[in-house]
Formats: sequence, C-alpha cells, structure tokens
Amino acid sequence: MQMVDFEFRNEIIKEDFSLNYCYQCGTCSSACPVAFITSGEYNPRKIIEESLLGLKELLIKDQKPNVWLCCTCQMCVEECPQNVFLTEIFEKIKNKIVQLGEPYPEAFKVQAKAVIENALAISLTPPITRRREQLGLPRIEFADINEIKKLLGATEFEKKIKLNGGK
Amino acid sequence: MGENLKSIMVIGGGIAGIQASLDLAERGLAVELIEKSACIGGRMAQLDKTFPTNDCSICILAPKLAECFRHPNIKLHTLSEVKSLSGKAGNFKAKLLKKARYIKEDQCINCGQCIEKCPMRVDDEFDMNLRKRRAIYIDYVQGVPSIMTIDRDNCLFFTKQACRICEKVCEREAIDFEQQDEEIELNIGSIIVATGYDIFNPKSIESLGYSRYPNVITALEFERLICASGPLGGHLMRPSDKKEPKKLAFINCVGSRDIKNNPYCSSCCCMYTTKEAMIAYEHDNQIDTSIFYIDLRAAGKGFREYIQRGHNEYAISYIKGKVAKILEDDQRNPLIIYEDINTSQVKQLDFDLVILATTMVPKKDAIELAKILGIELNEYNFYRGNHFHPQKSSKEGIFLCGACRDPMDIPTSVIDASGAAAKAAEIVMRD
Amino acid sequence: MSYNYFLGCVIPGRLPFLEASVRKAFDKIGVNVGDQAKCSCCPDPTGAAQLDHESFLVLGARNLCLFEESNNNVLSLCSGCTETLKTVKFILDKDKEKKKDINSKLKLVGKNYKGNVEIKHFAQVLYENLEKIKEKVKKPLKDLKVAGHPGCHYLRPSEIMNWDDPLNPETLDRLIEAIGADPIDYSLKNDCCGNPLEKSDKDISLSMLESKLQSMKEAGADCITVVCPACYQQFDFNQREINKKKNTDYNFPVFYITELIAVALGIDTEELGLNFHRIKVSNILEKIA
Repeated sequence: MQMVDFEFRNEIIKEDFSLNYCYQCGTCSSACPVAFITSGEYNPRKIIEESLLGLKELLIKDQKPNVWLCCTCQMCVEECPQNVFLTEIFEKIKNKIVQLGEPYPEAFKVQAKAVIENALAISLTPPITRRREQLGLPRIEFADINEIKKLLGATEFEKKIKLNGGK
Repeated sequence: MGENLKSIMVIGGGIAGIQASLDLAERGLAVELIEKSACIGGRMAQLDKTFPTNDCSICILAPKLAECFRHPNIKLHTLSEVKSLSGKAGNFKAKLLKKARYIKEDQCINCGQCIEKCPMRVDDEFDMNLRKRRAIYIDYVQGVPSIMTIDRDNCLFFTKQACRICEKVCEREAIDFEQQDEEIELNIGSIIVATGYDIFNPKSIESLGYSRYPNVITALEFERLICASGPLGGHLMRPSDKKEPKKLAFINCVGSRDIKNNPYCSSCCCMYTTKEAMIAYEHDNQIDTSIFYIDLRAAGKGFREYIQRGHNEYAISYIKGKVAKILEDDQRNPLIIYEDINTSQVKQLDFDLVILATTMVPKKDAIELAKILGIELNEYNFYRGNHFHPQKSSKEGIFLCGACRDPMDIPTSVIDASGAAAKAAEIVMRD
Repeated sequence: MSYNYFLGCVIPGRLPFLEASVRKAFDKIGVNVGDQAKCSCCPDPTGAAQLDHESFLVLGARNLCLFEESNNNVLSLCSGCTETLKTVKFILDKDKEKKKDINSKLKLVGKNYKGNVEIKHFAQVLYENLEKIKEKVKKPLKDLKVAGHPGCHYLRPSEIMNWDDPLNPETLDRLIEAIGADPIDYSLKNDCCGNPLEKSDKDISLSMLESKLQSMKEAGADCITVVCPACYQQFDFNQREINKKKNTDYNFPVFYITELIAVALGIDTEELGLNFHRIKVSNILEKIA
C-alpha cells in the first residue's frame, strides 16, 4: 500500500515552490509529446500529482511514471496555466533517485564517467583531430582535468551518482 | 415623489443597464440611458438561448427593450458616449458626444428598402464578423430603437461623395446626410456604469490554432451560427466546407484560470458550453458532443441538474482534462490531443467542429471611461468595486453593475443591476 | 564587449564540419569571435546535468568564470550549452545563497563567479546581423524549400532563454528567408526531435523523429535546417534507422543554418566538409547551383 510521505513532498516544495500551484488540469499531458506517444503511460500530470501526494515509493522506487522519459522539451512549462516549473521538479526527482541509489538509465552514467575522466562528454579522437586540421580548424585546449576533479570532488559527484554501483 | 429630483445616468444598454433603468423608472425617477452603439440590447441580444431554462434570449429581452424605449421616465441616448464628467455625488455634470445617425428618427419605419439597395459590404460586428452588413443598417432585426443607422466610415457618400441610393429609395424621406454630431450636457445626481464585456481573443494561444484552422471557433461565434437570426439561419454548418458537423467539442477555460492570460475564472463557460451543446442537439439529434473541462463550475440553483441533463439526455460526454494541443487532418477536421484524467490516458480524437469557451474580459475602452469618470480599475482592468459593497465604485455617487465589474451570467447581472439601481436612487432621493 | 566561442563537446569532437561553417559564416559577415581555452563539458542539460544539481551548477559556473576572466561574452554553438549556461547564470544571479555556496567550491580552483558576461546562441547573433547577411548574399538559395527546426532548448524555458517566442518562433525562418530560401510551414514545427530520449528509450525517440519527418514530408520540404548538434545528429543519423524499421524512404539532407548561409554567401562548398554529412547533400547542391 502506498504511504504518503510528507517529508518527501516538502523536500521537493522547498527546492521548487511552484509545485504548490498545480491544480491538476492536465494541460501538461495534453502538450507532452512523450505522453502522446505512450498514450499516457508517461504522464507529467501524474508525476506532479504523485509529488503533491508525497508518494515517494511510486516515484523513486517503482518509477511509475518513469521520470527519465521526460525529453526536456519544456512544452509543459510553457503551456502550464499556473507556471508550475515541471522540468525543474522532474530534475529534483531524478537527483533524488540517483542519491538514494535507485536504478537509472546507463547512458547517463556513461556520460557522467566521461566528464569525470576527461572533462568532456565526448573527447577528441585522433581521426577527428586530423579531420579538424583538414577543415582548417584551430587546435583546442580543453579544461585541466585536475581542476574538474577538484570541483566534482567538492560536490561529491562520483559518490552521489553511485558510479561504481552500490547504494 | 418630488419632481425636482435629479436624473440618474446609466451608461450601457445591455441587460444590466436596461434592468437598472427599468427599476429606477418604475419607482418614478428619471433615467438617462446612454448606449454607444445604435441599438440597446448588448450581449444578451447576440445569444440564442439562456441557461438554465433554455429560454429564447431575445424573447425575454425584447419586452424589456420595448419598455425602455417607451417608458416616459427613460430618455434613450444611442450612438452616445460620455466624454467628460465633473461635479460630485448628487450633482454631476456630464458631457456626451452623440454621433449623427443620418436618419430622421421620427420618419424611419425600419422597412429595409435602403438595406437592399446599399452597395457597400462591411463586416458585421453583431454577427462576430461571420457575415457582411451594409453601410446603412440596424444592429439586429429586433433592435431598439427600431430605426436604421448610417456607418459613415464605410458609407460611399461620406468616403467618396458618391451613391446616395438609400436617399432615393426611402419612401419616408428619412435619410438626412446633413445631420451633425451633437454635444449634450446632462445634470445628473448619480451614475450607474453597466458597460459589459468583450471576449478574449484566443489567437494568442498558438497551440489551439484558432486563427489557422477554420473549424476552430469561439463560443460567441458558435452562438451566432446556431441562432435562427444569425448568418446560417440556425442551420449549423461548419466554416471550412459547409458540411453539417456531427462531432462537436467544447473546450472550457480557454484563456481563463491562466496566469499567462487571465488568472480569473470566467464564471459562465461551464454552463454555456452545455447550453450550446443542448441547442445543437435539438437542431440535430445525430450530434455527439464532448466538453473538456478542468472543473465543472455549476454552482447556481438548478445548475448541477442542468449538467446532469446534458449528460443523460443530450449526448454530451464530459471529459476532465484541459486541452493544450489541436492539430488538423487533411479534411480540415480538428484533432484534439488530451489527457482523460479519470483514466490517465492520453489520446487523440478527431472532431468536425471545435468551440473554444474564452474568457470574459473588460471592454477595450474601459480604461478610458474609467479615466473620464475618475473611478479605479482592478488588476484585471474591470472597474474596481468596494470590497464589502461591490456595486460601489471608488467614487461616491458612481455605481457598477454587471460584467463590467466582474464576469457574471445574466441572472446575476440582473440582481446586480437592481442593487446598483437602489444605491443610485438613494443618492438622488436624499436631502 | 566581444565574443569568444563556446564550442561544447559534440561539435568539436564529432561534427567539426559544423564548427567550420559557423566560423566561416561569422568571418564572412564580419563578426569577430575569438576562442576560449580550457572549457569543459557545459554540462549536458539532458544528460549528466540531471544527476546532481550542485555539480551542474559548479561546472557551468566554472565555464562562465573563464569568459569573465578573459572579458568576453559567450557565443555558443549548441542550444544545449546555451540553455545550461543561461540557466546557471539565471540561478546564481538570483539566489545569493547558492552563489555563495558555488563560489566557495570554485575557490578551490582559484575562480570566482561574478555574473557579468552575457550568453548568446550563435543564431541569435546571426539574427542580430540579419541585414549584413542579406547584403552579402551572392548565391540566393531560390526555390529551396527548407523545413526550419528551431528545436527546444533554443527557445524554452522562455523565462531563461529570453529570446524567440517559445510557442511560435520565427527567427530561424527569417534567417532562412534572408538567404533567399523558402521557410516552409509544417504542422509539427515546434515539436521536439526526440534526441534526449535516446538515453532512456530509443523507440520513443525514433517515434518522435518519425512524426517530425512525416510532417515535413507532407509539407513538401527539400531539406532540414537546425541550430543544435543534438537535433543534427537525430536528423542526420537516424532517418536510416526509421527507414529500416518502418520501410519508409526518408532522405532529407540536414544542414546547420550556418552551412546554408556559408553557401549563400559564396563560400566554396569544398571548404565546408559537406561530404562528411551522413545523408548525402549533393542533390541539394545541384538544385541551388
């Protein structure tokens, strides 16, 4: 049985007060391209409803609806008659899923790993470097990886995202 | 009742202004009823039927119009606007600008010969620009005063010194191009503002496609289409191909309860969309209607039962889920994408005709009139009523009633008008 | 103030020919843009940025500090990077507590975020130079029907991006017009291309792409133009995937708006690396020759 977790709901409200404004009209679901393709299985209004009700298990453990299916197009935010900042709220939920060690799509972890190790999501390979020369493009000096390590160490990024598994 | 009591000026000849005028006149007070257009009647004259009784709107209105016209205590000033105001409660001086009608008011008998011959075609505002009128016209067939007007911005005589056909065919010699605008001064004791409302233009809500899709229309346009005196004579046909629509959709709260447009509730849409669906069904019982809503605000007496009847007897499906997206297929059928909140399913449905219930908004010239009268507007540009006594404006002696101070339906406007009339009478009858 | 490029990761590391077209287009219209050293991933607003808010802010702020130190505004090549940097600026400029917290971490690498550089999408700077572009057109792309795809992060959320109309954009279409081409109208112009969903559900991502392609086909497009490398990849790489799955034959060449501008301004197509596109562009080049 789903229990209402007031703490969870209040945590989200603290980070994003606009959650309070929602009056469950369904405009967001009408505007959402993913909701349409999945016939409502992915459902932004429902995610907000569950957040308002503090249904932590449903959102974080079961991930029903699956908040990782938000394509961040922000149409919901633009159409919402109450200025609820849905995508931001979804981000907070994603942050929580990650922090609490619940499973999340592998591709995010892969990109995070690349940033931690190379300061870039996509690093320059030798063929690309050659191609850049061909096109007359300048050599680029990217970030000093030690700086990035220091900063991401200070925010405990690696630990938070459970890079090496575990909760 | 003393004969040297000052008169009361009622600005606006819609149902609220008319009711206030009749109330005052019946108790023996003199009323100056000011109306900007050529006929009184306002929005109620544009409606086909009224909820919750589904009575014919003009049938209820017309006797009141006639009464206003012939009542010895009411002086009707049509084509008139208030241009300045001075003085204080009990003793106001108002200057009106009365535009020339170019018709001799005691000669015209509304026979319509001039209309048949006039060569000019102008968008008909009363019919929501769905058809054309002539440059000589009457607002609507049952309009009061029952005489013509010449629209000098579109009349060939005024724009090009040509034509004058109406003058030639009028058997009563009622056309008078020599008429001039008049300035009229009135000395009045109190004022009632009853100037009514405009409707929100949904063109600005891009994703509903109002200006792009011909089969997406507003509720007031739909009202004119199903009205027997409207452009289609009451035979509903849809704009793109004149086919008879069988699947209608009404979308409530278009522009209402919406921080980006009008944060307030328009108060009537939940009821009038049901009403319009019922009328459509009465014309053609093959019609199926879906009404998309956020909440069904049917709070008045008999209103909830009205909605229930709509569901049970008039083939109306009520779907909880506000619509944000309308597309179109290649037959120009609107496609609505919506979430049915009761089942959490997001679907697409095609319809023949989609009607948008848009917000009641203050009239465009409300700001100017507020300045002239020296009264305050609220944050939505409706006239600001006193917090505990909403019919009192911010200036003593000036009262408000009807949709010019807050969106409201017809029964509420009538009650409001009687209230304002009582307060306005007090001013005039004291000391 | 002058501009330095913020290149991001995807363009320099995977699609350098897009970078070439941007540089050449700005050169030709006379806008001087320098290079900014030591940038990191912005971070990707649809990717790693979603995992931890604090890390997102600190990496973004560090990038902005580099521009502050070199006293240059940001001219970004990618809609995603533009959104990230503008969001970081928006949040830190508004929330003093967060700014203090982030600066306490930036101090560890000798940096301090002040908030005094502006961030602009390259298409915004192009639009601001619309007259210059029109003047310098040598080869107007007449009769070329271009389906403009403004994308999502170029416009939304409008409170932060503060540029074109979020639901009825027109700046990309004006750029297409300026070089003599025909910006066609199609029903799903404002829809997302679906690229961000590749990370979570490839099927849905491809469905979204297919809807867009179908809409463009019905409107009679010759080619597609984009202003974001994520959209570029989605359109250029994945039409083939859809054709395989659904037995369709989508074959729209995809261009960065700067590639079309460069061609219209008379730059030699050899210099632009157009042969590196996955979907061959030769029939378009023939059409406009």
